[in-house]
Amino acid sequence: MNGQAIPTSSEPNGALSTRVVAYSIDAKLNTTNHAIDATETLVYRNLTGQPQQTFPFHLYLNAFQPQSTLMTEVRLNGARGIGADSGWNDKHRASITINKLEVEGVDLAGKMQFIQPDDHNTNDHTVFQVTLPQPVAPGASVEFHMTFHDQLPEVLYRTGYKRNFYMVGQWFPKVGVWWKNGWNCHQFHADSEFFADFGTFDVNLTLPQDEIVGAAGDLASTVNNPDGTKSMKFHSEDVHDFSWAASPDFTMVEDSWTGSAGPVKIHVFMSPGNMTSASRYIQAQKGTLAWYDKWIGPYPYGRITIVDPPHGAANAGGMEYPTLFTAGTGWFMPKGLLVPEDVVNHEFGHQYWYGMVATNEFEDAWLDEGINSYVEAKSMDALYGPKTSMVNFPFATLGSSDLMRLEYISLPDTDPLTRFSWKYISDNAYGGVTYGKTATVLLTLEKIIGEDTMLAAMHEYFLRYRFKHPTTEDFLKTIEDVSHQDLKWYFDQAVYGTNVLDYEIWDAHSDRLNWWEKEIRAKSPNEETHRTYVTVHRKGDFIFPVDVVVKFEDGSSATEHWDGRDRWIRYTYDRKAKLASAEIDPLNQVRLDRTSFNNSFVVQEDKRAIHKLHNIWIFGSEWFSQFLAWLS
Amino acid sequence: MRLEPRPKTFASGAALVWRWQRILWWIFIVNLVLALFATKGMVERADWALSHSVASGRLVNGFDLFSIAELAAQPDNPLEQPGPAVFHYSVIFAVFMLFAAGGILATYVFDAKPTTSTFFEACGHHFWRFFRLVIYLLLAFIPIGILTAICGSIYHRIDAVSNSPYSADFFFIAISLIVLLLTMVLRLWFDMAQVIAVAEDETRMHGTLRRAASLLAHNFGSLLWLYIRISLLAWIVFGLGLYLWIYRLSPLSTAAVFLLTQLMLVFWIAARLWQRACEALWYRQYQAASVIEPSYTPAPSPEPAPVPYSTAMN
Repeated sequence: MNGQAIPTSSEPNGALSTRVVAYSIDAKLNTTNHAIDATETLVYRNLTGQPQQTFPFHLYLNAFQPQSTLMTEVRLNGARGIGADSGWNDKHRASITINKLEVEGVDLAGKMQFIQPDDHNTNDHTVFQVTLPQPVAPGASVEFHMTFHDQLPEVLYRTGYKRNFYMVGQWFPKVGVWWKNGWNCHQFHADSEFFADFGTFDVNLTLPQDEIVGAAGDLASTVNNPDGTKSMKFHSEDVHDFSWAASPDFTMVEDSWTGSAGPVKIHVFMSPGNMTSASRYIQAQKGTLAWYDKWIGPYPYGRITIVDPPHGAANAGGMEYPTLFTAGTGWFMPKGLLVPEDVVNHEFGHQYWYGMVATNEFEDAWLDEGINSYVEAKSMDALYGPKTSMVNFPFATLGSSDLMRLEYISLPDTDPLTRFSWKYISDNAYGGVTYGKTATVLLTLEKIIGEDTMLAAMHEYFLRYRFKHPTTEDFLKTIEDVSHQDLKWYFDQAVYGTNVLDYEIWDAHSDRLNWWEKEIRAKSPNEETHRTYVTVHRKGDFIFPVDVVVKFEDGSSATEHWDGRDRWIRYTYDRKAKLASAEIDPLNQVRLDRTSFNNSFVVQEDKRAIHKLHNIWIFGSEWFSQFLAWLS
Repeated sequence: MRLEPRPKTFASGAALVWRWQRILWWIFIVNLVLALFATKGMVERADWALSHSVASGRLVNGFDLFSIAELAAQPDNPLEQPGPAVFHYSVIFAVFMLFAAGGILATYVFDAKPTTSTFFEACGHHFWRFFRLVIYLLLAFIPIGILTAICGSIYHRIDAVSNSPYSADFFFIAISLIVLLLTMVLRLWFDMAQVIAVAEDETRMHGTLRRAASLLAHNFGSLLWLYIRISLLAWIVFGLGLYLWIYRLSPLSTAAVFLLTQLMLVFWIAARLWQRACEALWYRQYQAASVIEPSYTPAPSPEPAPVPYSTAMN
């Protein structure tokens, strides 16, 4: 499908992206007090088309303080496994302190000013801005020289240490993005991720010699120092972030895969006890690479690094960085529970939806998490079976796309997909809408434009916007371009609105046509004509065309197509045979329909499902009674 | 006094349960009826969604977790209701079992056919004594609860400092087994106290508990092994039942599943009664062994020996 998709470059030196930033960082890890001392040089190319004098920077690690915006939001709503109203533990305190900031030899540390563009919380120090003595002309570059000190938290919110394990992400001062004619540099929120410009990273890490390091770059050199440390140089380009992990207990497992853009080295850094999952990670990684290569586009980087966090560091798991992501498993992980496979699939997907198609995760979370969830559902179902791609036990099964729909139907109407990520009504709503609803919206879109067209649109979207910062409108327009359809009616409701889609069979029954002749009996049922009524009701406010299939006892059927604009519609049939069943969306394509149980009515009662459930409930109830009786 | 259980105690206990199997069936029926009441609301609420819907087919031909979750996610969640109802009816069942314990043990201790009136007389006769025992039992659970809490904090400590994921989890498994064993010992002790209370028509529960503790201390290994053997057998049968349910029965055969699960439960109840019957038998042997041989043979009594069952009732 992507025969012409291998990345080509119009940038200098064959660069895949428009390189705005070039970071050079020299960092030393102190494993005694879990701190990092570093120097950073940032060369920023002013491609904004206008002079720039004031620059904003992220200081993400300052979010790990009790009065920060992140922690205030966590306290209110909870997030990433931390419950609302959770207490503060000082082991989670972290900070990033800039000791020196120089531009063109001028010390600007005293001119740094913390700003809070999102919520005016003056206790939040996750963004600062600095005004230079002279503006930077369009097309010119400016060099920032900084020294900074990181105090890492015990693992929380994707980053930190746990015993001798380090997951170091969002750890250096990172400049904001000039986007839509303004600086885009949001504070660190509970339900938001990141946004940055493409460029190059040269990172020199100094750390104890027994540390095994997995990093988001090519290892250029390793030098052992006389003081028992070693210095490792990494280089990465056409990415917008750099993260790394270290532990003396890692076991590295290597493999490779070759796709349309060439070979990809797979490095897996396994934690103690989890080795049985290594092969599962690798198989899932290869399968996902192949699926993406076939349907979405080539993976242009020559490596992918998977970090398996140790037990107790689950909060570092399931997170994406360019060319590196963290997975998640346990020492006892049944094969029927496809958690390792799903985490790899999802986090690798972010190499496309966030890594290359670098949308603004603060403002358009649905474009990375949501699109990624849709592709995850497609690829997981393709790789592991549509009904068994998440749970595959003899006694219970669950598919990935069904799981997405489940996330959506639990909270279908609180927020539109386009809500800024930190403005959702709750953490659950953020998850349900951004991940589950987006996936379900796009799966339902397949019914309108066709599955193949939808996949073609995803492919086209990737080709158009890899190494760029597309918007919601860019994505929607791509779908319309590829499908040659005006889909505004759908996007207005599904993307920009909070409409709920729920159709039901309001009533379905047959009546004798000559119902008043109660005393006269027909000689045989076939001689009697019945009038069948089927009433379809649009319960929700989401208008969507649906198919209705009406079946009769003699095996005949009628298919209706209703545009759904009115609140209800009634179909009437005069036939010899009586009604057997009426069903809305018999192919189960309208995944956005909140309730599938009311989509059909079968005249012949079938109690098998209820009997089955009842069996289980009776057994469970009897057992609980036995347990209680045993205790007394 | 130490008394080795006769080799036949294990089998004789089973025979006793078989002989008075009416007790087993009655307990089973009460348990089933209460479970039916407990789940009635759920069935009624789920019926509208399932009985005339094509979507219910996903549950018929397998066990689709999504369908269950979709049902639960409905605004009028039909699966929400049974939780409290199950608890309430389970409490009723527990109280029923406490009430019935007197009659059951009287049947096993005296091995005499109970009439309905004598059975319920025994139930009522011992109910408040057993109720007091339950209160003591709850007090006895406190140290186990404290031990569990301490082990819980040790578990978290090990989990925090150990690089190996096994240490904490294996500690957890070991502690769980120990707590289970301690709970079983407590159960054995209080079961013995109930047997003594019935056999001796003892009213002082303090003293009964002391005697039961003394007996248990002197015969700990043999009595515990008696209980553990039956428990293991019960768990094996339960596991076998689960295996058949999951792997052998067709997802469509709800009647067969119902029969199987109820058979599993019957065996479970029988195993519990078996434990109690064995303990009653053991105590009868103990009583017989502890009677001091008279130095002379007394003249036979002109009166017929009183029926022990009715004596115990007075």
